[in-house]
Amino acid sequence: MKEREIVIIGCGMHKFGRFADESYADIGREAIRMALQDAGISWKDIQAAYCSTMYLPATSGARIMRPLGATGIPICDVEAACASGGVAMRQAMLGLESGEYDIALVLGVEKMPRGFMDPLMLYERWQVEMGMSTNPSYWAMRARRHMYEHGTTELHIAKVAHKSHRNSVNNPYSMYQKEFTLDEILNSPLVCDPIRLLEICAPNEGAAAVILCTKEKARQYSQKPVTVAACTHTITLYSADFRVPLDSMSAKILNPGPTEKTSKKAYEVAGIGPEDINLFEVQDTDCFCEIEIYEELGLCPLGDAGKLVDEGVTEIGGKYPVNVSGGLLCKGEPVGASHLGQVVEIVWQLRNEAGKRQVKGAKVGLAHVLGAGGNCAVTILKT
Amino acid sequence: MMVEKPEKKRIPIRERLLSKPLSRLEDVRLLGSKCKNCGEVGLGEVSSCQNCAGEDLEVIHLSQNGKLWTYTVIRNSPPGDFKGKVPMGEGLVELPEGIRVKSPLGGDIEKLEIGMDLKFTAYPLYENENGEEVIAFRFDPV
Repeated sequence: MKEREIVIIGCGMHKFGRFADESYADIGREAIRMALQDAGISWKDIQAAYCSTMYLPATSGARIMRPLGATGIPICDVEAACASGGVAMRQAMLGLESGEYDIALVLGVEKMPRGFMDPLMLYERWQVEMGMSTNPSYWAMRARRHMYEHGTTELHIAKVAHKSHRNSVNNPYSMYQKEFTLDEILNSPLVCDPIRLLEICAPNEGAAAVILCTKEKARQYSQKPVTVAACTHTITLYSADFRVPLDSMSAKILNPGPTEKTSKKAYEVAGIGPEDINLFEVQDTDCFCEIEIYEELGLCPLGDAGKLVDEGVTEIGGKYPVNVSGGLLCKGEPVGASHLGQVVEIVWQLRNEAGKRQVKGAKVGLAHVLGAGGNCAVTILKT
Repeated sequence: MMVEKPEKKRIPIRERLLSKPLSRLEDVRLLGSKCKNCGEVGLGEVSSCQNCAGEDLEVIHLSQNGKLWTYTVIRNSPPGDFKGKVPMGEGLVELPEGIRVKSPLGGDIEKLEIGMDLKFTAYPLYENENGEEVIAFRFDPV
């Protein structure tokens, strides 16, 4: 057990979507103001801040936060592709656990160009020239292999999309809030076989922020603190997968995947297992990705995720509700903000403030992000 | 005396990836680096083994023949400076050296199948601004 318990005393979120009239700084500051208000504190109380982005300019954190008051605190920008927010959370946790700070703010914010992300941010030039830079292609290849080895079907992938689109209708912070039929999903255009358009998330804009505080100090502020039970980050082992920008993998060695490794570490730190968790917000770059993550998080044995989908286990009323927010599929993926968005969703759920998408009696939740370079981060929250 | 027509200069799409010379494309092979400590093979000529961090590696020529381990079809033109055409197969090709290489796939996209036999092809992908032929690779059905 860690000596200093860290809790979240406030959170805020700017809706995910497209906002032509707002700068990234406007979007970021809205989430910060909401978090400060929620915590009942002022900007002057913040002793350190961490800003997670991937596509914004240098020193974005300072550009967003100094106008709130140039108080001289350290403001660190953090980048780890899709896992940026988890890594920023972890850096803040380390600062608080070490005793360096008692109260810190973590902001995730992004404003991304439309369409596919700039491939040179993720791939080498030769891979781009040869056409090996379509972002969902590695997931598509993993899906094809999973189907071959375990009998997973296109219908399983579509069912995950069906669930998340249905959940999104109840989330006012989601970019898309529209239900689709299974037929509509299965008839949407193929992007990278077998992954279809209505099964892939879109890059967009948005922000989310949390205020972390030592439990001792939190007593003077919050009546409803949520404990950070674990926050872990790893980078994928050799030959554990073939995520961007990898050009090859071993045919002789298969190591545990990044999600398995990172979640195992988080379960150990929190002293719990997946069976103790009431809801999961996970990286669903596409809907096959979510299927694979069910297995790596330990919600079912390897190869059985299709069965889990068929049994409705990950529906909002199931044993393991996954992406009740609609997931990144519907919220969109403002890369730097995505993990903080998940964390805020779970805080609301654990405080019983999630409205129509509330998971009844939720006490423990897990947030998971995974991206380029095999970066993976997992945060577990509990009441 | 006959004046030989000067051939276009050829360069590899990435250094330390393809064997040289590039004059006879049928003789070109993918390079690999075999670790003398753990035996794992990495793609291209590299200085460290990603498996064991060993630094004693031997450069080898990877086999031409492999089997398709998994694949997808790229339907829309990839973003950025893509030099080829879509739709295009992309896959991981398992080679006898114990490595799976990510590669564009030639041939009919409708006939792609896990386990199918494939053969390495080096070919000119485009001509660069210096008039040099840039040599890339793909795997084609046997």
